[in-house]
Amino acid sequence: MIALTSPYLWYTTRATGLMALVLFTGVVSLGALVALRVGGSSVGRFEISELHRSLSIVAMVFLGIHILTTVLDSFVSTGLLAAVIPLTSSYRRVPVALGAVALDLMLAVWLSSLVKTHVANATWRLIHWFSWLAWATALVHAVTTGTDARGGVGLVLVGLCGAIGAGAGLWRALGRPTRAAGRTALSPLAPAPPANRRHAGPAREMPARPRVETPTRAERSGPPPTEAPAAIPRRAQDETRRRRR
Amino acid sequence: MGVRRRAGGFTLAVNPILCDGFGHCAELAPDLVHLDEWGYPIVERTPVALSNLSALESARFAVRGCPRQALRIERVAEEERRA
Repeated sequence: MIALTSPYLWYTTRATGLMALVLFTGVVSLGALVALRVGGSSVGRFEISELHRSLSIVAMVFLGIHILTTVLDSFVSTGLLAAVIPLTSSYRRVPVALGAVALDLMLAVWLSSLVKTHVANATWRLIHWFSWLAWATALVHAVTTGTDARGGVGLVLVGLCGAIGAGAGLWRALGRPTRAAGRTALSPLAPAPPANRRHAGPAREMPARPRVETPTRAERSGPPPTEAPAAIPRRAQDETRRRRR
Repeated sequence: MGVRRRAGGFTLAVNPILCDGFGHCAELAPDLVHLDEWGYPIVERTPVALSNLSALESARFAVRGCPRQALRIERVAEEERRA
């Protein structure tokens, strides 16, 4: 019980809270990079994606320690319930409630990702959008109740997190994803990839999709084609690649 | 048993409805997946032997790394396997 009244738990709460904010800023920014399909030449896209996944786990661990030490610490009377259910804390009712909201949203995002293979993609994406709201709520939580966010290095750190996260959000909202365009037998003018490529080559802007001539109503009423037209280029493509080897 | 499990081959199968052209599969399994002009995968349709462990591992990485879970490994029986 002595340990619970010592100031170290409270220091741990402050430190892990600040670090959790930094980590979550990194996670949402990396998530924006994944969604914008950044990478391909110097850094692999899958590497950014993997970093996004693993960093999110580290951030959740820090958040767990932050909450656990807050609950255990006897300096403020914040129970486990107050960490999950908003507006049930007697200590700094609204700022702690913001933290609870952020935690609930992050838990929703995390759990939906854990069962991603069993969830429809549209549902998972909808839930994943809430990570932006969770991050913004956590930022406000840090500004309103963070002891270290009052000035000095802590304030600079929180300000940097806000700027980076907001920048990533703006880019995500306004940016256009680049495509990792490859080269096929049907695109002889496309640049050839390097012989031993580790990544898919530099990302290029997506070239305009060639116009597909849709038949008019009169043409469509003619005799049906003997073979499905989509099958022809695919087969020709494979033949060409096999011959080239 | 281990010997029996290695018999036969596998191919990667793409679900074109789920695929959003992230291009991770071509990075993780460059020998099995190529990208078309628009960044969508063209998978190698010739089955690869299951005994080719490095290819199988890269295929598993590609399946796990797909952000849309659009890839899966399909096993092919020994008779169907060419090459």
